[in-house]
Amino acid sequence: MTREIERVAGIPVVQIATIVPIMLTVGTNRIVPGVAIPHPTGNPALGPEGDKEVRRELLLRSFKAMTTPITEQTIFEK
Amino acid sequence: MRLELHKIHITGLAFADKTYTSGGTLFINKDKAEAVIAEDKRFAKVELDLACPGESTRIIPVKDVIEPRVKIGRNSYFPGFFAPMEKAGSGETLVLDGAAVVTCGPIVAFQEGFIDMSGPGAPYTPFSQTFNVVLYVEPVENLEKHLYEAALREAGLKLAVYLAKCSAENEWKADEIQVFEKGNSFEETQKYPDLPKIVYVCMNITQGLLHDTYLYANDLKPALPTLLHPNEVLDGAMVSGNCVSACDKNTTWHHLHNPIVQALYARHGKEINFMGMIPTQESTVMDGKLRAAAMNLSIAQQLGADGAIISEEGYGNPDTDLCLNARFFENAGIKAVLVSDESAGTDGASQSLADATPELDAFISTGNVNEMIEVPAMKKVIGCKEAISLLSGGAEESLRSDGSMFVELQSVIASTAEIGFNKLGCEWI
Repeated sequence: MTREIERVAGIPVVQIATIVPIMLTVGTNRIVPGVAIPHPTGNPALGPEGDKEVRRELLLRSFKAMTTPITEQTIFEK
Repeated sequence: MRLELHKIHITGLAFADKTYTSGGTLFINKDKAEAVIAEDKRFAKVELDLACPGESTRIIPVKDVIEPRVKIGRNSYFPGFFAPMEKAGSGETLVLDGAAVVTCGPIVAFQEGFIDMSGPGAPYTPFSQTFNVVLYVEPVENLEKHLYEAALREAGLKLAVYLAKCSAENEWKADEIQVFEKGNSFEETQKYPDLPKIVYVCMNITQGLLHDTYLYANDLKPALPTLLHPNEVLDGAMVSGNCVSACDKNTTWHHLHNPIVQALYARHGKEINFMGMIPTQESTVMDGKLRAAAMNLSIAQQLGADGAIISEEGYGNPDTDLCLNARFFENAGIKAVLVSDESAGTDGASQSLADATPELDAFISTGNVNEMIEVPAMKKVIGCKEAISLLSGGAEESLRSDGSMFVELQSVIASTAEIGFNKLGCEWI
């Protein structure tokens, strides 16, 4: 889906998922590593406040990834 | 370490006024056995049923399968569950060989499956060939899913131990004694200095949300990879946490029989030096996957391993664990052979693993989980035939009005088990 949106619509896509090697294998271009398979975009173990911080940081990082020019598959680490 | 499995060959089942074995038949006092399980107040209903090879019977949805066993003279089994916390793998074990306890009841989670005792679906599962004591339970209202899973897991183990214990308390004679004996890694390497040293890495589902595996009754999820003597595996150290995809879950029965452990054992001292089994994790976080792969390698390197057999449990994200293990071992100069099933789509044309790596160059396939099969109606259904609509590999339209089903292979228990014990494979063409 990530590749098709980019290919057909020309919209840059940032993929947040946990298992980075699979994103590399399937050809995702902008990769933001998620937290864990059951909760990729947050961390409930940190409580509501900590969880919100994790979610906010992931989102801001994703915006950064989306606006960063790239020439190859790129992983945007924290 | 020496383990003796004293096997009574079971070739029949019947309800009777006491529980014992005679002439190859396991007789069961139904009321008493049900009462043992009904002691657990988490169950609203407990019912035993019997299913023998060749019968027109479907069991659905199945959670786990357990071989009835007990330590002779100890009346206990499965350390930490129905035996004191003690080391498994030595002494004498009574085995009701050919019999199995099958746990069944309203669905816990979608990754459960079915067993057909006859017809075209039967050859896909080893449990169409076992004499099955089916434990059907219903939980009390509002029991949380994880508590229901725990109750059912423990009930299956309890019944398996109970049946073997009652058999041991009455007159019995072993039809066969199977011996597993091997010294420690240092002794064996001194004995066979020229044989290649092989470790077996057994990957286990350890992902929470009812996807767990237990080692000495300990949840493997927060644990680290470790090393076991093969006898420990074959004597009740490993227990399934039930709710993994039906086709490639390692049931407790599979752990007790682990075919890779047995095959390596059979070649020990002849072709190879079998160093032991590394039970390891399939984590839900990337660092967990990297940590497990690194520690699997570390243990293998400490043993001086030349080669490794690595088996997966489940599919999807664990394919990454499989690839990491292949990469880490091969890059460290340890040859790795990987065993896994494939999810290649109903036409077999899709990429069959979710991940890939060039180091994964020695691969044994145990079949395509997405293959479609048609199974006819059975005269008798134990459990709930409508459950197929909720199971992985099933859908709303799977069950037809005449009772037949059109389903993916993955809904059949152990049809593509990745430690072996199935009849499927794939060939490179």
